[in-house]
Amino acid sequence: MLEGWKKFNFWVLMLLVPINIYLIFLYAPVEKTMGIVQKVFYFHVASAWIGLLAFVVVFIASIAYLANRKVQMNHLALASAEIGTLFISCTLLTGPLWAYPIWNTWWTWDPRLTTTLVLWFMYVAYIALQGGGTAENRRRFAAVYGIVAFINVPLVFFSARWWRSIHPIVVSGEGIGLTPKMRFVMFFSIVTFSFLYTYLLGLRYKGISLAERINRLKAELSQ
Amino acid sequence: MSNYFHRVLLIYVKDIKDEFRTFDNLLSTIIFGVMLVFIFSFAFQLTDLAVDQAFSAVLWVSIFFSSVLAIQRSFAKERENNVMDALLLASGDRGIIFLAKFLCNLTVLLLFELVVVPLLWIFTGISALGHIQAGLFIGSLFLGSWGLAAIGTMLNGITIQLPSARLLFPILLFPLLIPLLIGVIQCTNTALLGVSEPLSGWVYFLISFNILFTVLPLVLFDFVLEG
Repeated sequence: MLEGWKKFNFWVLMLLVPINIYLIFLYAPVEKTMGIVQKVFYFHVASAWIGLLAFVVVFIASIAYLANRKVQMNHLALASAEIGTLFISCTLLTGPLWAYPIWNTWWTWDPRLTTTLVLWFMYVAYIALQGGGTAENRRRFAAVYGIVAFINVPLVFFSARWWRSIHPIVVSGEGIGLTPKMRFVMFFSIVTFSFLYTYLLGLRYKGISLAERINRLKAELSQ
Repeated sequence: MSNYFHRVLLIYVKDIKDEFRTFDNLLSTIIFGVMLVFIFSFAFQLTDLAVDQAFSAVLWVSIFFSSVLAIQRSFAKERENNVMDALLLASGDRGIIFLAKFLCNLTVLLLFELVVVPLLWIFTGISALGHIQAGLFIGSLFLGSWGLAAIGTMLNGITIQLPSARLLFPILLFPLLIPLLIGVIQCTNTALLGVSEPLSGWVYFLISFNILFTVLPLVLFDFVLEG
């Protein structure tokens, strides 16, 4: 079942990715004031979406692991965390590329930016906690941390927003008036990235499971 | 129910006694905190920046960093001679151990602040300002320490069972503390600088944040101290 899904996913991606690139660079109109740099927006938003989605998967898989202790759930959570880190890193890297020419600053403590950065830190902490270790207790701890960290995300966002709403906002919101064409391309990118995420998740999940199997076999052989 | 809290109290008293008999944990934390406060205040003096504007930032960065030292000890001492197993047997409930350790860490942090905060006060010369809301200031110190102790105790229960505990603990701790950091700095800043902002919201936010992160570990601690 998993193999069939992977193959299907692969061909969907082969179809969607070229269309998406065409849509981003040729179909979507060039933004009047921002110019060509605005194109990074389609990658940026889609990566941010995947970063958040991946964390939801970590959260659910962590609860499932604590509930019935299936190793697969732990592998799924770890795979999702790794891919989420990758996409959040993309978000954090593409953001400044756009922000510097538009806002004239590489970074600002906007609630969304702050939350994304804290999310990145929590992902890194989660992966460090698993630490490549295969011991049962590491899985359990990672699951506990995954749950607590996920609950922390909205708290970070709302406290950061609240703090900003009291103080004067240095840089106002993104202020992108999206035309219908742009909005369509944005949603298309999100769909493409979601397929990319599930494909990578499947690959990484298998990779982690195989690595664990090798470790187990090695341990059995050395006895 | 009273039995439950009686057991919490017993473990708490044991930990506090231990804290004062060995004394090295509390003492080294305080010395580290004094050192931090000194370095911060001095560095600000060297740059000729107005340190009273940055007081709450310096204060909380010092407390956060020192708390890593203070809290890291709380479970470490139970590892010697398998005291942890005895504690589990004696208490019968992991929530009891969490609560007792949390209260002990909170006490240690408050004692630590009792020394460090006046010192920072003197170093930065902030007392010249005059219109300070003492109640709010002390209240925010308490709320900040509560959150720190609760999250720190839970994470220390995790990291102490792993080989790379010292490195992992701050990495796990600091991202979770960001909402707390925002809240307490708002409160201390208002208490010191007397900015008339609608503040009660932040106090309620801190209280609910702290209750959440005290109850959540109580539920999850069964998974932390297993087997």
